Amino acid sequence: MAAPMWSAAGRYVDWGVIQISVTNLVIIGLMIAIFVAALLVPFPGGSRHDDAEERDDGRG
Amino acid sequence: MTGYPRRRGDPTPDSHLFPTRPYDLVKEFVVALAVVLALTLALAAAFSSPDRRAITLRDWATAAPNDVVATATAELAGTSASATYGPPYNSAAQGQQLGPFPLAKWIGVHIPVNSAYDLVLAPLRLQHGDAALTAALRDWRATAPARRSAQALAYADALAKASGGNPRRVPPGAYGPVPQLAASFLQLARSGGLDSALTPGSSFYPADQTKALLLLSDGAYLEDQARAEHLGGDQWGMMNEVGNYPGQPWMWLYTFWYQVKPFSTSGNADALVWGLMALLTLGFVLVPVIPGLRSLPRHLGVHRLIWRAPAPGDAPPRGPTRT
Amino acid sequence: MAGADAAPHRSWTARLRGRIARTIPPGQWLPDRQPQYVQSWIYVFGVATLAALVVVIGSGVALALGGSAWWHTSPVGHFLNSMHLWSVEIFFAAMVVHLWGKFFMAAWRGKRALTWITGAVCFIGSIGTAFTGYLSQSNFDSQWISTQAKDGLNSVGVGAFFNVLNPAQMLMWHIVLLPLVVGVLVVAHIVLVRRHGVVPPFDAVPPAQQETTPTTETGASELSGETTRFESVEAVTAVRVTTRRSPQERP
Repeated sequence: MAAPMWSAAGRYVDWGVIQISVTNLVIIGLMIAIFVAALLVPFPGGSRHDDAEERDDGRG
Repeated sequence: MTGYPRRRGDPTPDSHLFPTRPYDLVKEFVVALAVVLALTLALAAAFSSPDRRAITLRDWATAAPNDVVATATAELAGTSASATYGPPYNSAAQGQQLGPFPLAKWIGVHIPVNSAYDLVLAPLRLQHGDAALTAALRDWRATAPARRSAQALAYADALAKASGGNPRRVPPGAYGPVPQLAASFLQLARSGGLDSALTPGSSFYPADQTKALLLLSDGAYLEDQARAEHLGGDQWGMMNEVGNYPGQPWMWLYTFWYQVKPFSTSGNADALVWGLMALLTLGFVLVPVIPGLRSLPRHLGVHRLIWRAPAPGDAPPRGPTRT
Repeated sequence: MAGADAAPHRSWTARLRGRIARTIPPGQWLPDRQPQYVQSWIYVFGVATLAALVVVIGSGVALALGGSAWWHTSPVGHFLNSMHLWSVEIFFAAMVVHLWGKFFMAAWRGKRALTWITGAVCFIGSIGTAFTGYLSQSNFDSQWISTQAKDGLNSVGVGAFFNVLNPAQMLMWHIVLLPLVVGVLVVAHIVLVRRHGVVPPFDAVPPAQQETTPTTETGASELSGETTRFESVEAVTAVRVTTRRSPQERP
């Protein structure tokens, strides 16, 4: 098990009025990166067609 | 299509009219669950979670005895944060105002706390076998309120001026029974007896820690410990966690206002920030009905990345356009 | 009995049954097809949020087995607490990315305002639930967060009834009241997504409308007409979805 993370003093970044922990900054950065990646990375399986596939229309 | 009549209202067509393709929603959910579970297990194993022990009143008395004495004195003098708080604890102040609305005052005192009595004198009165304490309590009860305050204020001033706030360095003065009360209070805290003496109605099962927390936060020690961890209000503390643990990044806007004027210098900062955030939250919830804001996404154009035109050479979609 | 009964019934049971059946178009509770314009990774963040919520609740249930303080002294309990913390971080991260995506899509279009609204209130409710969770840790964090938060809540009178210094109250809000509220909102949100389907792209025109002069209001797609519409487009040969703009819709 990892040593408790609070035994080391937290690392912070100061930028004008903004003070943010390195961990939070990493989380926010990852979120933005993942969002951009989600927009840019192609989604697979676009042109598959299954005319003969049985469909459940859920009626009746 | 020229001549297309402009329709009032939302022209978005029914999504069920569009061509479809097979998609396994249940499989998607199961995969998502597996991925999130695996990620959670990995992060929990790698980084664990913080658990910094709660500060007992005994811990406080051991680590910062002078702070305990100063706090007890402030409670008796009626100058502590809780003693001067106002609603919901007492009527010593009006409470904050949101513009012209004294909301706290309107709601009133619902969690009555008499700081001097509930936090200091009542626990002391439970003690037995300390003759000096018994005499001091009797002395305090027999003194007129105005004189009591004056004695406590004088002792508080003297403590503030003494080197390190050490009671032993306080010069003689007209402090009445206050030094003895504060000293006995420290002794009670050191013994661990204070922790259980503040639960309401001497209940066997402590549930409500209001009094103990008000007392602890009236002192400087709790805040000193918190500020050392970047948890202070003017340190963006609302977003942070002890050590290097992830905090609450989603609180960024709420805590931002406290860092800037006019909020950072206002006595009504809490009410003002609450009011502002309530307004912004309402705006966020009601985006679909706010003109201008609701048409912003179209103009920002990010949607062109989400709904890219099919690449040339893709087979045209076939099959009935219903599920 | 078919869902869409036309004749009014006095029976409350029949009325409720009909109402439930009409909530979502036939076949849309769990469809195995989706519109072809749903073609981006951004769409996975809704289900990712839901999956994270399941892990949050599951780890919370496991924690409840030992009570509110056992994790301080038990390695298993502490690990479950860690799972609870990290799944909450993943939950919020996925929810916010989902929110960003939905905003840029203007996903409230096509009578989906309530879908956005329930989602937004879910977000706010989740913050409240997380907040009461932090207050229930029975450690230094709880002490600091409660003594700080009380000032905000007291300033507007809420603190008189919602006492953050009372851990017994805060724990019950965290494990009973707020999860119920958030749970109901999540169900409502998902039902609405199933009801209206995924929002089409800006200016998308369905194949049938490309071939005929459009005369119908979008309102005709409301549920009273949807069954008929499914049958009427059954015979229509699908054409590639275009994103052609009509002159009136140019900026």
